[in-house]
Amino acid sequence: MADVDVVVVGAGPAGSTAATVLARAGHSVILLERGPFPGSKNMYGGVVYPRILDQLHPEWWEDAPIQRWVTRRSTMVLTDDQALTVDFRSEKWGRPPYNGATAFRPDWDSWLASKAQAAGATLVCSTTATGLLRERGRVVGVTTDRPEGDLRADVVIACDGVNSFLAKDAGLYGEVDAANYTVGVKETLGLPKEVIDERFAVRGREGVDIEILGGTGGVNGGAFLYTNFDTLAVGCVLKLPALAAQELRPEAIIAGLKRHPAIAPLVEGGDVAEYSAHVIPEAGLAMMPKMTGDGILVAGDAAAMCLAAGIWLEGVNFAMASGIYAGEAAAEALAAGDPSAAGLAGYERRLEDTFVLRDHRKLRRAPGLVLSDRVQHLYPEMIANTVERMFRVDNPAPKPGLRAIFNSERKRAGIKLADLARDARDGLRSFG
Amino acid sequence: MRITVCWKWVAVDGADPDDRWAGVSPADEAALETALTLAGNGGEVTVVTVGATGSDAGLRRATAVGATHVIRVDGEGLGARDVARAIAPIARGSDYVLCGDYSLDRGTGAVPAYLAAELGAAQALGLVGVDRTRVPLRVVRRLDGGRREILDVPTPAVLSVEGAVARLRRAGLAETLSASTATIEVVAGPRPAEHDVVVTPYRPRARMLPPPSGGTLARVRDILDIGAAPAHGDAVTLDPPEAAQRIIDQLREWRYLPRDTA
Repeated sequence: MADVDVVVVGAGPAGSTAATVLARAGHSVILLERGPFPGSKNMYGGVVYPRILDQLHPEWWEDAPIQRWVTRRSTMVLTDDQALTVDFRSEKWGRPPYNGATAFRPDWDSWLASKAQAAGATLVCSTTATGLLRERGRVVGVTTDRPEGDLRADVVIACDGVNSFLAKDAGLYGEVDAANYTVGVKETLGLPKEVIDERFAVRGREGVDIEILGGTGGVNGGAFLYTNFDTLAVGCVLKLPALAAQELRPEAIIAGLKRHPAIAPLVEGGDVAEYSAHVIPEAGLAMMPKMTGDGILVAGDAAAMCLAAGIWLEGVNFAMASGIYAGEAAAEALAAGDPSAAGLAGYERRLEDTFVLRDHRKLRRAPGLVLSDRVQHLYPEMIANTVERMFRVDNPAPKPGLRAIFNSERKRAGIKLADLARDARDGLRSFG
Repeated sequence: MRITVCWKWVAVDGADPDDRWAGVSPADEAALETALTLAGNGGEVTVVTVGATGSDAGLRRATAVGATHVIRVDGEGLGARDVARAIAPIARGSDYVLCGDYSLDRGTGAVPAYLAAELGAAQALGLVGVDRTRVPLRVVRRLDGGRREILDVPTPAVLSVEGAVARLRRAGLAETLSASTATIEVVAGPRPAEHDVVVTPYRPRARMLPPPSGGTLARVRDILDIGAAPAHGDAVTLDPPEAAQRIIDQLREWRYLPRDTA
């Protein structure tokens, strides 16, 4: 006899949306959270794309706890002493229905969980799900770290984050490979709002999202700089094996990034309010587990639903979407009285039919390409040097042709034409 | 045995109090654990708090770990004496009243003493140990300079304990779930008195430090935090006798030498 229809483990973006959908469908839901409140233990770079909430919480922007709306989106290529920036801004992103926003996870996750509670889900904090309860091979609940803490449920939805012990316990993960993971490290720097507005040329709640190729001290990865209301988020995402091989400390890499001539004037004078780090499931489709087992679904980071595709860096939207679809599929299975893997198959069908797996499938080569040695170590210098020579006035020498500059810089960087063509083809297949 | 425990729920201050970072002090938690242990199976433990609706979360937790009753006295901004007066009718008749030695916001720490006065009970405050095996209850009290006082406490008594006395037990899952929907009994609190003890911000106790080394000037510089000697005066080029006289005159002016010394 189950204590409850569904146990959702983890009150992050995936867990809270799943719990909301199920509670609204009239099911009894317990939402377990390890931290003292939702979001207390969570960390990300800082940008969320919440349009997936349009249906679940219409006009979510009215009460969503955002820091700033991203109205400027920059992509930056850094070498030691050069910076090339492609900068875009749109006023449309500063009004409903908006596009992206910077937000703090303790605020965002608490807000989403409060919606689940309002729908009727029971939130239980400071409680860790330590394992799965099984009967005849089927998952029938979870064990927790509380005394007499077994909780029986018809369906368990594991939204327990990147190192999902429940998905591993259920045998849904294959071999874990460190190369599939990156570590994200971030400093939150306090600066007066007016200073941020002036430095980043924004007003009111407008904000900036700068994604950076380079600036990671030679470790494969990327860097970022986001504006919050009166803080900045500056940090790096670093490939784990590369970080270990270089024997560098992540905080030293951030310090180097903050010293870069293109970044230093933006972050100068900021007081470090927080330093945080988190492992990211970076490899996309290549590392995803089986999403469904008998009596169990996996969603969010636990299912490696993080899109790290260079120009698109998203995760929370995939987590929220997978939570919604897991909730819908579980409700469907409960209504049919069949919480087996077959009964829960609606989950994977929904993932396949929507952006969640379509984006990951289309961009399956992107994470490997973006973190490859050529993209990381050779192309930034080739691009920056090409642009430098393009804009350099070498009088009395006449202006060289752009193709000649590019070819000479390509050769100087030691990039074979065949490799460049292969990467261009992979890039086009992914992003085209 | 009947025991009343007083908890103070402290939320983050500001225009929009945020309960996510609110809680009770480890000393308050130790008070409840001590009470639960003392009461044993047949005893009755009532947890009372004076505060706004936010403090219900704390009382739910107290229910989940085993408090028999929880009561919130509705009131905010009360002084220590008013808090004690609000709690006294609830605590009257208890064998022991247990409080934390300090609250999270480091208030006056005066509530237990006022409460003892209101109840006409004995008091033993700032306890670092409670020996429940002895009758009457034997407690160890912290004194200044690392000394301890061992007291046998009669009933009724008000006791305040430090956080290290006990660690609050973890609530079971079923109890946590049932407590999350439990109704909290609320009683009306008094209005704040106009002339009561003023709660001042926490001020650390003064400590004896060794005197600074160096002379008077170094001490003045230390206090003023000006580091190295400031550069002043002007550069002059003089013959040695004139230079010596100039130095002596300057030292007299700065009072390093008495003025009447030839």
